[in-house]
Amino acid sequence: MAQTAVIKKEKKQKISLLQILYKHGTLLAILAVITYFSITIEQFFTYENFSDILRSISIVTLVAIGITFSLIVDGFDLSVGSTVSLSTIASAAALVLYRQEILVTLLVPILLGIAVGLLNSLLIVKLKLPDLLATLAMMYIINGIQLTYTKGFSIYNDMPLPEGGIAPGKFIPSFLFIGQGEWLGVPFSVLLMLFLVFVSHIFLTYTKPGRLFYMTGENREAARLSGIPVNRYRTYAYVISSLFAAIAGIVLASRIGTGQVSAGAPLLMDGVAAAFIGVSVFGIGKPNVIGTLFGSILIGVLLNGLTMMNVPYYAQDIIKGGILIGALALSHIQKK
Amino acid sequence: MNELQMLNISKSFDEVTVLNGVNFHVKQGEVHALLGMNGAGKSTLMKILAGDFPPDGGTIMIDGKQYTFSFPLDAKKAGIGLVAQEVDTALFPALSVCENIIANEIVETKTSPFLSWNKQKQRAKELLRQVGLEININKLVHECSLHEKQLILLAKVLFSSAKYIILDEPTAPLSTAETKRLFQIIHQLKAKGVSFIYISHKLGEIKEICDRVTILRDGKVVHRSPISDITIDEMIEHMLGRTYQSAKKEKRTLGETIAFEVKNLLIPKTKTTVNLQIRKGEIVGIAGLVGAGKTELAHSLFGLEKTSGQWWINGKEYTISSPIEAIEAGIAYIPEERRKQGLFMNESVEKNLTVRLLSSLTNFQWIHRQKEEKLALSLIESLKVRPSLPKITVKHLSGGNQQKVVIGKWFSTNSEVFIFDEPTKGIDVNAKAEIFSIIQSLAKQGKAILYLTNEFQELLDIADTIHVMVDGELVKTFSAEEATHEKLVYYSSGGETLWHKLPS
Repeated sequence: MAQTAVIKKEKKQKISLLQILYKHGTLLAILAVITYFSITIEQFFTYENFSDILRSISIVTLVAIGITFSLIVDGFDLSVGSTVSLSTIASAAALVLYRQEILVTLLVPILLGIAVGLLNSLLIVKLKLPDLLATLAMMYIINGIQLTYTKGFSIYNDMPLPEGGIAPGKFIPSFLFIGQGEWLGVPFSVLLMLFLVFVSHIFLTYTKPGRLFYMTGENREAARLSGIPVNRYRTYAYVISSLFAAIAGIVLASRIGTGQVSAGAPLLMDGVAAAFIGVSVFGIGKPNVIGTLFGSILIGVLLNGLTMMNVPYYAQDIIKGGILIGALALSHIQKK
Repeated sequence: MNELQMLNISKSFDEVTVLNGVNFHVKQGEVHALLGMNGAGKSTLMKILAGDFPPDGGTIMIDGKQYTFSFPLDAKKAGIGLVAQEVDTALFPALSVCENIIANEIVETKTSPFLSWNKQKQRAKELLRQVGLEININKLVHECSLHEKQLILLAKVLFSSAKYIILDEPTAPLSTAETKRLFQIIHQLKAKGVSFIYISHKLGEIKEICDRVTILRDGKVVHRSPISDITIDEMIEHMLGRTYQSAKKEKRTLGETIAFEVKNLLIPKTKTTVNLQIRKGEIVGIAGLVGAGKTELAHSLFGLEKTSGQWWINGKEYTISSPIEAIEAGIAYIPEERRKQGLFMNESVEKNLTVRLLSSLTNFQWIHRQKEEKLALSLIESLKVRPSLPKITVKHLSGGNQQKVVIGKWFSTNSEVFIFDEPTKGIDVNAKAEIFSIIQSLAKQGKAILYLTNEFQELLDIADTIHVMVDGELVKTFSAEEATHEKLVYYSSGGETLWHKLPS
């Protein structure tokens, strides 16, 4: 009798250990990675480095929030990377080629982002194309558009124009402040990221539209039969996704101070990874913005540490892929 | 002796005895009807015969040889063929007619990876001729009509030289002309020594095509005889048994106010129209077999199908072309597939219950969480959802409690008309009684209730008026006093419309 009781107790403990792992696995992984790098790398655990890490993840996080919205309605958006590139080029072009002030410079990429989102939802919601393939096609089209527009050249201050002379405008300080400025010692882009994470989180958790986004994604058929306008919410989600990509593109242009072609491409994979890692954070099992933030922190910390350890960038992709698989496995086990 | 014998077959699932010492014989070259109500054990018996799962006890003898089937393939090899009710589940839609027919051959050929296509095509053609289907064998199956698919499946079964063929509701999707043609084919194959086990709810057809009949009730054989020795009435009597005591129904007096009326509602699938009236507080039942068009009717009423018609709710006319419009007009729909269509399985009971009521809980789109919880608790209380925890995830509830949540979603809304599509599917007796009392309390509040089911006893227990539905049409109407189980079975099996007249 006593023996069986002991066995039962052990079993119970084992289960709760596993549950802790499921629930806090991602957080533990972040802590473990930080601890490891702090011990092995001298300059890792410093304010400057952490501010650097946060600054570097701010752009990925913005992209990842957008992806999170598309995941919440049970969709997927592969076109965000290209949309970032498009937005980067658009804002750089507005500044350098057309000598625009801050308002137009921000408005143009944002409107382009909304247009991409509407086009995506036209394909997916109205024409009922599979989301993965529709946004894959859009990814190529948008990437092609920004390359065609620039003929493959980046846009920078004082660049020579094909028709002779140099570009009339330049990156103005108010625009550069977005990606490079600081406020009370904290990078502005980090504040922007935290603000948007906070707003999105509140919106998704505490408001009626937020609730209906989740309901739409959880069971589209039941949502439709409950009178939720599911197609409208799916459209909103794709528009929000592209909108966040456009904002990320603006921050990116401002941070590097040039309109680099195809600069957003690598952000797709990082954003997807962050959003999926986010699903497993706290064992929520659903896409959520706070989780997404932790996901991109994990990726950011890892990449930062690996770079300091002189691991080449191409090898870092292997680790990123591995983490994504781990996060997917974790959230899949939770669902079961 | 050439005969299929199932001797003393028993089977239980989770301590529920489904088959209890069943003996079932089919002679060579006969069409043998297997009858029984839902849950009598027909499908379990046939699944055992087809090798889906082994029996707990008993033996299967075919032509004097004893068999144990562990896999469907074993049964196939022994000469058992199954033409399933859902033909689409048994065919490969993207492959050609020929490839479908010879699919088994491809799977089973172990000697050589190469096929002689010409030889196979020749045989496939020959078999299609035998089943009376003239069709290009290179046509893809998904391009074929339902009738063609069924015959393709029959040819496929013949290809693996089946001698005993199970036909499960073969005429459900067929028109009268197609049914006649199928019967001719059955007659021809019979002459060649093929036997059929014929499962159908349409008793007129059974009389027409079958030679002998075995009737199951509650997992036991209650009758076995040549078909000529039994009338349709006697069949129904044997299927129902005489022991059932109908539950006492509350006597209620209904007003004359029409709460819901629909005129000339088109049901797209069958291209029929339906007229329906429900009085205030009335529970109207639609009795129909599987495939009679009940769900299609519900979908048309709720704006889920492209349809036409006039809806009148409490004297106001509406046109409805989407669920949103239907809900705004005051219609609530409790769908048949509650997990797929009714619930957000990974969300809490609370969120499921309040999804329709969020507008009353929000201030500038902001959800008042305390108000929400209070509302959910009161709904849980009045529906008796167990466990009564608003935060528990719906997937952890039992089927009956899940169903209460689906109904509860519409409870404090302004819905005037409630459509229940098979609301007791897969839930236990106690939960059923609770669901009934919920429906009755809605009726008492003056709501109009439409209750669609193939469990006729439920309608006798709860409905004030019962319409019988066959092939998308309401063919007969009974008041609660007139209706009997026999009459419902008789009319829903197409008794009058097919081959026989109603006995006096």
